[in-house]
Amino acid sequence: MADAITVPQVQSARPALRFLRIIPGVLLLCAIGYAGKLLEQNVGAYAKAHHWTFPNIEYVLWAIVLGLTISNTVGVPEIFRTGVATYEFWLKAGIVLLGSRFLLGDILKLGGVSLVLVAIEITGSIAFMTFLGRLFKLKPKLTTLLAVGSAVCGVSAIIATKGAIDADDEDSSFSIAAILALGALALFSFPVIGHFLHLSDRAYGLWAGLGVDNTAEATAAGALYSDAEGKLAVLVKSTRNAMIGFVVLAYAIYWASKGQAQAVGNKAAFLWQKFPKFVLGFLLISVLATYHFFNKDQVGSLANLSRWAFLLTFAGVGLRTNFREMRKQGLRPFAVGAIGEVAIAGFTLALVVGASKIFGW
Amino acid sequence: MSAQERAVNPGDRWKLSLDTWAVVLAFVAALLIRAGVFKHVPW
Repeated sequence: MADAITVPQVQSARPALRFLRIIPGVLLLCAIGYAGKLLEQNVGAYAKAHHWTFPNIEYVLWAIVLGLTISNTVGVPEIFRTGVATYEFWLKAGIVLLGSRFLLGDILKLGGVSLVLVAIEITGSIAFMTFLGRLFKLKPKLTTLLAVGSAVCGVSAIIATKGAIDADDEDSSFSIAAILALGALALFSFPVIGHFLHLSDRAYGLWAGLGVDNTAEATAAGALYSDAEGKLAVLVKSTRNAMIGFVVLAYAIYWASKGQAQAVGNKAAFLWQKFPKFVLGFLLISVLATYHFFNKDQVGSLANLSRWAFLLTFAGVGLRTNFREMRKQGLRPFAVGAIGEVAIAGFTLALVVGASKIFGW
Repeated sequence: MSAQERAVNPGDRWKLSLDTWAVVLAFVAALLIRAGVFKHVPW
């Protein structure tokens, strides 16, 4: 998730102009997402009618692949870029609406287990990435950014930490490039590994939420397995996102104690500023659904609206991923990130398999 | 970034983050569905 991401091109523009500028890109997200949905429905039916053996490809994958194809062939024209950047916004709105499908009891039960796993994952990931950074003699603040990006929530954690520890722009660009490239790889490799290992639905959803860094990629990696796993991956990832303030605060205090960052004044205000508000929205909608504020049909409508929002997100994930741009950043951050991510994926997989045995999933 | 640059502009204090706008939009949509303005959202 990237709560700190803003749309720089429209910052200084007037509100009406800002709104107009996002329209072409949002329409492109809608067109690609809807094309993905149509392809899911029609390609399978066409193949079946012609007796072809063709795997059932979900709309999630179609939308991502269509976006990737455009981004890496003709590119995304300037006029669409501001609107395409809103895909994180639709992701967060979709997550809030998805709260209607979770009863509070489920959240407490699953959230309790995932909270323990998330705490172990964050501690282990930060320790390992710090070790790797020292081993590869990376700059300490670059190591901090990579550690936070891979332990908590990808790009937004890096952006939030960058401001809090006064890191260089170059270091944050390095870290963001590495996290995005690895997120794209995880998106495709997690479902394949999950199927190969015959992971149970719950174990896979937990793993995707724990092991994939960006919320958009974690949601997509879960949804590529099935809708239910997508929901679980979102819940676990949101638990990870909720930890962002604490981790950034700890690093801000650490770097301030070394005289290399500004001291943190009001810690509670700092935590609130960094806390992802969509997690609160998700919980609030879940509370309303638990106490029957919405009837069954309305819950169905909210869930469908959430899927439409995710459809725009998946199109945006594809459009945002440009392999040429990533290559320009060089191999070094990618190599460090890749070693770390593979280790973290293995570590979180072991955690989930261990938890599955303990809880009998 | 200097301390001066970091000082909060009084106008910014009330500016909502992207995150919060997403929550606002989701709740407005939820309330419209609850109020029956949108009877059914198809998939």
